[in-house]
Amino acid sequence: MSSPCRVSSLVLAAIVAGCSSKPSSTSTTASTVSGTRIGSTLAGDKPGEWRLPARDYASSRYSPLAQITPANAKNLHVAWTFSTGVLRGHEGQPLVVDNTMYLVTPYPNVAYAIDLTQPGFPLKWKYRPENAQAAVGIACCDVVNRGASFDGGKIVYNLLDGHTVAVDAATGTELWRVQMGNLNRGETITMAPLVVKNKVIVGSSGGEMGVRGWIAALDLATGKQLWKAYNIGPDSDIKVGARYKPFYPQDRGANLGASSWPGDSWKIGGAAVWGWVSYDPELNLIYHGTSNPGPWNGSQRPGDNKWSAAIIARDADTGDIVWAFQPTPHDIWDYDAVNENILVDLPIGGQTRKTLVHFDRNGFAYTMDRATGQVLLAQPFVPMNWASGVDLTTGRPKVNTDKATAQSKNVKDICPSLEGGKNQQPAAFSPRTGLFYVPTNNLCMDFEGREVTYIAGTPYIGGNAPEKGGPGGYKGEFIAWDAVHGKKVWGIKEPFPVWSGVLATGGDVVYYGTLDGWFKAVDARNGTVLYQFKVGSGVVGAPIAYTGPDGKEYIAIYSGIGGDMGLLIAGDVAANLPYDVRERGSTLPDLARYTSWGGMLFVFSL
Amino acid sequence: MSVLQTARVPLAIVALSVLAYHLAQADQEPQAARSGSTQPTYFVEHPDHIQPGLSPRAHWATLTNPYEGNAQRIAEGAKLFISYNCMDCHGADGSGAMGPSLQDGRWHFGGTPGDVFQSIYEGRPDGMPSWGGRIAEDQIWRLVAYVQSLSKGHDVATENFTGKTIARTGH
Repeated sequence: MSSPCRVSSLVLAAIVAGCSSKPSSTSTTASTVSGTRIGSTLAGDKPGEWRLPARDYASSRYSPLAQITPANAKNLHVAWTFSTGVLRGHEGQPLVVDNTMYLVTPYPNVAYAIDLTQPGFPLKWKYRPENAQAAVGIACCDVVNRGASFDGGKIVYNLLDGHTVAVDAATGTELWRVQMGNLNRGETITMAPLVVKNKVIVGSSGGEMGVRGWIAALDLATGKQLWKAYNIGPDSDIKVGARYKPFYPQDRGANLGASSWPGDSWKIGGAAVWGWVSYDPELNLIYHGTSNPGPWNGSQRPGDNKWSAAIIARDADTGDIVWAFQPTPHDIWDYDAVNENILVDLPIGGQTRKTLVHFDRNGFAYTMDRATGQVLLAQPFVPMNWASGVDLTTGRPKVNTDKATAQSKNVKDICPSLEGGKNQQPAAFSPRTGLFYVPTNNLCMDFEGREVTYIAGTPYIGGNAPEKGGPGGYKGEFIAWDAVHGKKVWGIKEPFPVWSGVLATGGDVVYYGTLDGWFKAVDARNGTVLYQFKVGSGVVGAPIAYTGPDGKEYIAIYSGIGGDMGLLIAGDVAANLPYDVRERGSTLPDLARYTSWGGMLFVFSL
Repeated sequence: MSVLQTARVPLAIVALSVLAYHLAQADQEPQAARSGSTQPTYFVEHPDHIQPGLSPRAHWATLTNPYEGNAQRIAEGAKLFISYNCMDCHGADGSGAMGPSLQDGRWHFGGTPGDVFQSIYEGRPDGMPSWGGRIAEDQIWRLVAYVQSLSKGHDVATENFTGKTIARTGH
């Protein structure tokens, strides 16, 4: 790519003035914070569209649309709605391409294409894939799906039963269908694939099932597998070779993905790729996290357990690991590292650094050099006590040994809980404020490790971890985070964990939803709530912005409680009969008062 | 004779009875008009023969648990519940997690000892594994006894949120 657009695609002034043949009245012309830039661009991007899960390769979830501002957001209202026909956790987000909206539901993973140009928004097509019912009971944390990617005229997404499918975006016809996960080994798929250079990047869930985690690239045209890499095991299997150059000395050496495990326990050691994938076209690297090691009971797997609970940078063409880093080596708290990696250039120490910003389950926000894997800064973004900080000479956490879990030991009051300071619900970045907008949890847990036997296709956990609210009398907070200095700028405390994704916009309004069913529009600069609306069911999806055929800016978000927090803690997750959301344990005793199951798309406009 | 063998036969009989019923209907159509009925002549009520779902007289449901209410066997079942990883799906004390709650007194596939035995033995379509070839039958009965002990007093029909704490009543 040599277009000048590449340099600053998200500075809309540049796109509109210099690159786009169709200037849009909805894009902002205001400036960005000096030295900040979203670290990747998408060929042919239109400001009013949303083609990838997080809109861009950088996972910014920033839309340049600017019609809705702090001055007029109070005039927002519901423009239209659509029932997905499914009552489960609606994580993920719709896509909008060429005046068509694409939705993917939780299991059974129905896809809808909605014609935005017609009154009443009729369907263009509906696609109901074959999808094995047994997957429902193999998925650890509700039967969610985190969305599709659009590229090359195809809608590509994953099915809970382990298939990846490509559907013709114009007709809904299935173009190819490939089995990637093996249910009998506990592998389901919930993540949203990312399409990079005609490659569909896919990983599986199953960190609680003793899987051996992997990531693979499929040919967008045919579904043929181009490469597949495990995350644990010998170097040849995990694609550690000549290009491997981790930043920290403890991560250098041969076959660490096997030798940091006792015996051959790496074969059932987890490290699944169930979260988000990012891509830097300039470095040609994809970035992904890996899940917790299995089992949770760390006494059964002494060692660092590489590369579980890790952030990994791989060559997009070959899958070769370029660097890898464990926020939580030898994780004994279920602190997966699968949360999104947001690729943003930031002014740090007087120079612009190509950074990767990652809000880990372990409660630390990492600002890293995405070319090298160096941790530039790591600060707690939620109340925590399991570690006192991160040693920047090694990148390792300073673990508070009082909070180290072990077999037959009941450790009390560990913060954050296994849900993490933040879970998979993705944050957003605005280059106009230079801030990250982060949905967080304030939960703590007791943790009792227990010996567990591996039985293929059943959970491989070995721990019991009842949760409770963290200090301060709130259980979640929506925060604005300065990743240059590692500081919270403002926050909105919530009675429940904030389990929705976030949208940042060029109008300086950011959006999120709550478990008790509030959709909120917030001033990006100071956290003032500008507008809120009580949707039908708790929100665990991520909002998007798009431009309608009428030229107006719309905000779309799923309502439909579920996912790990929404149902594992709050309800009878596997009930075939969706009566209600039931109290379970004491974590969220009051949630059932405010919400029940649902499955709706809500669309807002001025 | 194993449970599996004894179970298959009655199920087959049920299926054959249904088939026989339909065949009988076909035969009867010409002369089946009932006096005073406005129904089409081929309509014949057979409430004793047909009902939604599997007949409660199906074989599994009639099995009795030799360990029902046996505290020692229930305690042994609690241990098996952990060692076969039941707990990691159904939650500590069966409170629900990946798999459904076993405490709430609501049974998706029937709550008699035989129904629960069948769920464990044959598995269920939403992902419950089939344990019949892996767990001895006397151990399954211990699990059944334990699982059935969990829901005593937990089946709640009404949750009233208007007070300071949530009042749960019913059953």
